[in-house]
Amino acid sequence: MRNTDGQLYTIEGFAAGLIMLMTAYLVVNATSVYTAGDTHISDMQLEALGSDALTMMGTPTNTTMYLSNTSPLRMIIENPGPVPNATFRAMFLNLTNSRAGLPMDYNRTNSTMDYIQFTANYTCRIDPGTEIASNTFSYSRNLTGGEHTVKATKWMIINKGAVPVCGTTNQDRAVLVEVLLWRD
Amino acid sequence: MGFLVSFSFFFLAIVINQSTVVGQTTAESVIEFPKNDIRDVRQVIGQAVNVPNLNIVRDDITVLSMNRKSSVVYYSSVTSGTFRYIQIHYNNGVTEYNENWSYR
Repeated sequence: MRNTDGQLYTIEGFAAGLIMLMTAYLVVNATSVYTAGDTHISDMQLEALGSDALTMMGTPTNTTMYLSNTSPLRMIIENPGPVPNATFRAMFLNLTNSRAGLPMDYNRTNSTMDYIQFTANYTCRIDPGTEIASNTFSYSRNLTGGEHTVKATKWMIINKGAVPVCGTTNQDRAVLVEVLLWRD
Repeated sequence: MGFLVSFSFFFLAIVINQSTVVGQTTAESVIEFPKNDIRDVRQVIGQAVNVPNLNIVRDDITVLSMNRKSSVVYYSSVTSGTFRYIQIHYNNGVTEYNENWSYR
């Protein structure tokens, strides 16, 4: 007995073969995303950490500071010491590097611990005009250019006679504090 | 039967194919959204409307935002009766943020 049932099986086989080829293409294609999704996540965490640290440093820590509308960060910028500024460095490293179970070790005797390093500058506008000037005031290590850095920023309003590169006008001025930080 | 099996493989492959892309676009959009920038500029504007030399501080914020953060920031503050109204504009080319803020 002869009929055309076999043709249907052939057509099904061809269609299934095509779909399998398409499937293989999709799977191979999926591996060709060069940057995996989670490589950015550590950047995001580092940026959030830096931002939080700067926000904490820009918050008054006692009633006297609160009443005079100042903060540790503002006092550091208004009273610049030798570069790198030791107060900023100690505070920032303490805020970013402290974690449970490991003691702070600024002298890096414990080489197995990973550290977050930073370099910080502030930028202000030269009044009058639209020129700007930046001043690096603190760092924990020199930036060589090979580091994978993220940036955290904080606006500050300062009021102080002479601040390096900002001029000497004795009035309220807004400056932008920028910190580049990276894992080491 | 072969047809059904190959279809189910096809749908599973689509899931694999999209999963990596979903992770990447989510992380990218979270990174691109300038949450900290907006928060920070709001805070400083809250202080900057209370200084005696309004125009100089506004120029500082506008010029520094443009130069260092590639964002356009402008704000103005109007006092009417016992109320104060602050308008904030922020635009970094990708995200635009406008806010009307009033308090007594």
